[in-house]
This record gives sequence, C-alpha cells and structure tokens, in this order.
Amino acid sequence: MTAVLQIDQLCKSFVGVQALAGVSFAIEEGSITGLIGPNGSGKSTTIDCVSGFQKIDSGRVLLSGKDITGRPPQAVARAGLMRTFQTVRLYERFSLRDNLTIAAQQFDAAGWVDELLRTARYRDATAAAETRTSELLGLVGLSRYVDADASVLSYGQKKLLALAAALMPRPAIVVLDEPVAGVNPTRIREVEDILRGLNSAGQTFLVIEHNVEFITNLCRRVIVLDQGRKLAEGTPAEIHRDARVLEAYLGLTPETSATEMQGAA
Amino acid sequence: MEVDATYLAQLTANGIILGLLYALIAVGLALIFGVLEIINFAHGELLMIGAYAMTFMLPAVGLLYWPSLAVATAVVALCGLLMYELFLSRLRPGEFERSILVTLALSIIILHVVQYAFSASPRIVDTQYGFDGWTIGAIRVTWTRIVGSGVALVAFVFLYVVLKHTRFGRAMRAVAQNREAALMVGVEPKVVARNAVALAAALCGMAGAALAPIQLVSPIMGQALIFKAFALIIIGGLGNVPGVIAAAVGLGLMESWVGGFFEIVWQETAVFVVMIAVLLLRPDGLFKQGTMRVG
Amino acid sequence: MKLLSAISATLLLGALPFFTSSNYVIGVAISACIFTTAAAALNLVYGYTGLLSFAQLGFWGIGGYATALTVMTFGGSFWLGLVWAALIDTAIALAIGYPAVRTNRHAFVIVTLAFALLVTLVARDWVSLTRGPLGIPGLPAPNLFGFEFKTTPLFYWIAYGYALLALGLLYALCTSRIGRTLVAIKQNEPLVRAQGISPVPYKLAAFAVGAAITGVGGGIYAFHLKIIDPLFLDFYYMQTFLIIVITGGAGSYWGVIAAGLIMSTLPEVLRFSADFRMIVYGVVLLLAVFAMPGGVGGWLHERRLARARAGLI
Repeated sequence: MTAVLQIDQLCKSFVGVQALAGVSFAIEEGSITGLIGPNGSGKSTTIDCVSGFQKIDSGRVLLSGKDITGRPPQAVARAGLMRTFQTVRLYERFSLRDNLTIAAQQFDAAGWVDELLRTARYRDATAAAETRTSELLGLVGLSRYVDADASVLSYGQKKLLALAAALMPRPAIVVLDEPVAGVNPTRIREVEDILRGLNSAGQTFLVIEHNVEFITNLCRRVIVLDQGRKLAEGTPAEIHRDARVLEAYLGLTPETSATEMQGAA
Repeated sequence: MEVDATYLAQLTANGIILGLLYALIAVGLALIFGVLEIINFAHGELLMIGAYAMTFMLPAVGLLYWPSLAVATAVVALCGLLMYELFLSRLRPGEFERSILVTLALSIIILHVVQYAFSASPRIVDTQYGFDGWTIGAIRVTWTRIVGSGVALVAFVFLYVVLKHTRFGRAMRAVAQNREAALMVGVEPKVVARNAVALAAALCGMAGAALAPIQLVSPIMGQALIFKAFALIIIGGLGNVPGVIAAAVGLGLMESWVGGFFEIVWQETAVFVVMIAVLLLRPDGLFKQGTMRVG
Repeated sequence: MKLLSAISATLLLGALPFFTSSNYVIGVAISACIFTTAAAALNLVYGYTGLLSFAQLGFWGIGGYATALTVMTFGGSFWLGLVWAALIDTAIALAIGYPAVRTNRHAFVIVTLAFALLVTLVARDWVSLTRGPLGIPGLPAPNLFGFEFKTTPLFYWIAYGYALLALGLLYALCTSRIGRTLVAIKQNEPLVRAQGISPVPYKLAAFAVGAAITGVGGGIYAFHLKIIDPLFLDFYYMQTFLIIVITGGAGSYWGVIAAGLIMSTLPEVLRFSADFRMIVYGVVLLLAVFAMPGGVGGWLHERRLARARAGLI
C-alpha cells in the first residue's frame, strides 16, 4: 500500500525550545491512525508544520509522493491534506450550507468567469457541491440546520460541521486535531461511528487526541510522540504493553494497563 | 552652502525642544497602545484641551505659569479618565477596528464642540515669562520653551521611575506583555488600563499646556500633531517607550535642521514616506518591539 | 420585496430632474449619488473583507486630481480623465496594497492612514503639478461629442449613471463567490487558507476595485465642485464614508446604500451648521459602535437570526 503522508526527520524549535527533534512516520492509504503523546510532545506542532501553519526548520513532508515541505496552508490543502483545528474553526456568520460550499470552492473547475456567465461548468460544480453538502450533513446528523447560521450550533455540533467541511473536497487525507476534546461522551461514540464508517469507505484519517480510549477503539495503528520524537508505533494493544510508553505517558504498569485495555474493548 | 555654527546650534536647541514635546505626545499614545492595544485617535484633542485650558487659566491667575500648567494637566487627566470610564472600558481587547472608530468619533465630537463654542480663530496667550529668554553666546531660547522642555524631561524621568519601580508601573508592563498572565497574578487590567489612560492624557495635556504659550492655539492644532505622533510610535516601535522618545527627538531635530536650510515643504512628506517604509518592512518598528520596554 | 423597492427607488431617482428644477436639490442628489457609491466601495474593503482602509481618502483625492489634470494640464476630455483616475488608482492600490495586506491588522490601518496623509501633503506641496494650496479652479463642464453637460440637472445624470454602474458592479461582486470568499476571509482567515484558498489575491482585488470606484467618484465630484484643491482631501470625506458604512452596517450591501442616501440628504434637510453636523456625525458613530455595531443591516440580520434560533428549539 502506498503512503499517503510521509514525514522524515521533521525538526522545529521555538525560542529555546526544541519542539520537534526528528519526527518520522508514514500514514498508509485507507488507514485510520492515531497520534498520541503527553502535553508538549509535539503533536500539534507536527500537524501545524505539515499543514503549513508553522515554518519547518528541517525535514521533509511528502503527500501522495509530492514534496510539500514548507508550502503554505493553501497549497497543502490543494495538494490533498485537509485538517481541523483544536479550537474549532468555522464561519460563524455563514449558514451550514455556505460553510460547506466554501470548503469545496477551490477544488472545482469553475472560475469567476464561469460564474459570471453561468456556464454549464459552473452549474455542474454548484450542483455537485449541493449533493455533497446534503450527503455530509446527513452523515453528521445536521441536515435540519442546513440554512441556519453556524453560530446556533452546540460545541459538539460545531466540531461535526468542521469535520464535514474537511471532507467536502474528498481529500487524500483528513487530519483531525483533537476531534472529541470537550465533547460529551454520548457524542464521542457518535463521532467514532462516523469516522469508522468513512474509513471503511476508503477515507484516510490521522487523528490526534488525548482521549486514549477513543483512539484505542477507533484506530488500527497508533503513533506515540514524546519530547519531539516518535517514541513507539504499533497497534493499540502493542502500545498499551510498551514499557516506554507506559512510563512516559500513561504512568501505568503493564498490569494496570491490561485492565484499561479490557475496559476499552 | 556655508553653515553658520551658531545658526546650527540654535536650530539644534529648537529641534531638541520640539522633539521633547513631540515625545510627550507620542509616549502617551504608546502607553495607551501598550496597555489597551488601542490607537487613540482622540489624543490630539486631549492636547488641544490642555492648550485651551492653559489659555483660560493663565489670565485668571495673573499669567502665573506653574499653577496654570498644573490645572490644565489635571483637567486633561480628568478627561482621560472620563473617556476611559464612559467609552474605552466597554471595548474588549481584540476590538482594534472598533477602538479606532470610537476614538475617531470622540475626536470629531471634541474638536467640533470646541470649535462651535470658541470659534476656529487661533488664540495667543501670554505667561509670566513673557518673551524673555536665556542667551548663551549667540543662541537665544525663550523661557517658555526652556520651561516647556524642562517639564517634558521631568515628566520622562517621572515616567521612568513609575514604570520601573512602582507596582503600578510593573502592572502596566505586565498587562502590556500578557493580559491573561497578568490577570492570574492578581493584576486588575481594568484598573491598570484606567490609570494608564489617565497618565497618558496627563502627559498629553501637559504637552498641550506647554505648547500654548509657544505657538497658536486653535481647535485643529491637535490634528496635525497627532499624525506625526502616530508616525513616531510606528518608527519607534508600538509600545516601546525609549524608542519613541528617541524617534521624537530625532524628528524634532530633523524638522528643525531641514526647515532651517531647505524649504519646509518636503520634510513632512519625508516623515510619512519613512513611516510607510518602516511599517511595510518592519511592522514592529525600527527599534525592536518593546511591548512596553522601559530601557 | 427588496428588489421591488430597489427598482422603484432607482427609477424615481433617475427621474429626479423632472420632479424639481431646484439646482440646490439636484446638487444634494449629486452628492448623495457620489458619496453613497464611495461608501459602498469602502464597504467592499472594510465591511466585506474586514480591512479598515483609510486609503480611500487618498484614492478619492488622486482620482479628483487625475481627472482635473487630464483636462486642464494635458488637454484631454473629462471621460479620459475618469479613465486615468481609475487606472492610476488601481495601479497605486496594487502597489501599496500588496505589501500592506500581508502585514498585520494594526500596520495595515496605519499604512493606509499614512498613505492618505501623504497624498494630502503631495497635493499641497507639489506645486508644479497640483498648483498647491491654490488648487485648480475653473473646471469646465464635461463634453461628449459636442454635447455639453452644462447645467446641474444634466450633470446629475453623469453622477447617477456612475452610481448605477458602480453599485451594479459592486452588487455582482458582493453576491458572487468572490464576495462570499471575502466575507469568509474577514471571519476566519486561517480557515480560508486551510481550505485551499489564498487570501492575498482576494484582498488585493477588493482593495483595487474599491480604489478605482472611489477614484472615479472623486473625479466626478471635483467637476461638480468645479474646483479641486488640497481641501478635497480633508479628513471630513473619510469620516463621512466611514459613518455611512458603520450606520448602514459594515458588510450589508443595501444597509450602506440606504444609509448613504439618508446621511447625504438629512443634514441638508435639517439645515445644520457645519460644526453641528459633524458633532451629530460623531455622536451617531459612537452610538452605532456601542448600540448597533452591525449598523441597521446587522440589526436586521440579528433579528432574523433570533427568529431562526427560536424556530429550531
């Protein structure tokens, strides 16, 4: 299987702090991978660097084989990587419909001339966006709010909308930055099911989360970061047994961890 | 072009004095920006109020300079307080554009109320010092100018002491650097902000009062100076107090020298071109971004 | 409903010279057309894109001087002057806009302010070009293939035509994807970039279009006044444009047009003195910022929103 996203020796330091000290991993197509690690391990920095929101000191990022190292966010998005944000980002004053159609705008073939002249290309693009919007809103259960301003949604609903927006252009990979942080437990199950469903239909995901149970249930592979480096990689079960991980992150011994695993299964 | 040494010295003296007064105005702006992240468009009108207060006080107390200056400064400080309590306190930290609109509105109202009440005709006012001056060799400086710059110097020393050595000063610097962190250590941003505005207004009002005997007082006198003050806080660095003072004195000197040798015409333009260049090349100003550095 | 009132208002305004022969009234209408359009241009830059640009004043002045100089110094026609106004303003907007939109918010506002003041200084000081404080008086009536727009009612149709064309262009822009993208940029620029859209070309386009429209408006206004001098760049004009945008509602197309028409005519009706008028402007601006930050347009939108929210519960 091909690697959709490949990161080689990514390094990044802020004033006096080495946030990333050589992070490397690869995300296979069609996989759903979790990225976990203690606070300050470099999870968000890695994603910010990959998606172009932070400058990279050294290292390489390849997306579907193309070198996107250091490219600005809009170029990364156009190359096929869509992401969500830890503090949910939406257009609060737009309707849900508009929130989603903008997310697809850059990816259709219609330009402003097409729009002005209402060419067939424009009408086709608009119709396709409409269909996809209904499809995704139905998937996340927000269909009845389609014409409401995004500001009326609850926090959990907003996170779902942000997910839907990221999915609009059918990107090669969707990176979710803490998709269930601050979301209530019933909703978390819902998100799990949605992501699992999308993944079985072929969408590749990279999920950053603190909620280890969520990652354990959802992801077939987990990458653990610690102090700006990859500490371990494997199935959730393997991670739970890995002594280094337990020590650095979970603060558990293999025995107590096994209990955790049983509880999560 | 032969340069007469005494002429140059005279220009330099005038330039420094002018620069110190510019600095008083600009520092107030810098303080307000550092603590509230607001650019106070009404700052020029505060200066103008100080000048007008001076023109009313002086005749009332028999042209005594110091009491008039004190009263004028107090009046403007009070205006600053009012401005904060009634309007600025209602603005939240991130609302930069809104703050501009509010202070712009206040500037319009104050200017036109004064113009309506006192007419647009410029006023001249006299002080106990009259036109007497101090002469060193061939250079002559009037007392009003000397006293004016002395006041400015004392104000800067006072400001330095306040910022570096008092709780209030440290609180101001803390809020300027990091509002949330300051909140966590018990600093009350609103109190600090209110006092910072009052202090900045006082400085500005003092500058206006000091200017009143030196030049013509009119309702629009603040407008011309305020844009130069903007230029200074940009070039000196938003919130960087020593940088602003240095830039101000530099501007005063430059205006004086250029004005003395060339047509005054292009030096204002030059200031704005420099300002635009600095803004585009280094949005933090020529001097390093201070967020209220003291030195 | 909106469309109907818009069309009827447009037709009524177009027929104004037939309703009245008072040059004073028509003069007010000319100002209303021009100021409303200039405010709508500012609305595109500030209301839609979120860029508080004081540069509009500079473009207004440059447009006025460009048109006047084309006619008086270079012997061209009024219409050519307007073309030059648009071209020069667009070029300058792109030149300073490119670095300006890439800096932070604070710097952008101050740069545009500095630019406006710079233009004022140049108008006053570059005497060989602009004739300095004396200005350029005696601007002649526009001439189209021999037909002279000599009287005020005739001139009205130039202002009216300009308003119609410019506002139409702005309408097309604001209701298109481009307009929607501008509003998205204003709301959440990082999200826009994360969705594959580069904000800079959009900001530049809005800035340039705003500049060109304002410049042409300035040219027409100068020939209405029949003189141009540095007072043309008085901050008063910028304040007027801003107040119209804020009271109408930054980002509200129709709100700003309504506010423009009202703010241009009301002071005349009430016969205020110049100072009093400005005081009222200041108070209105203050009230708008605190009590109705979205202007009339925003207030209406909030009401609709509240109803929608109630309906969803």
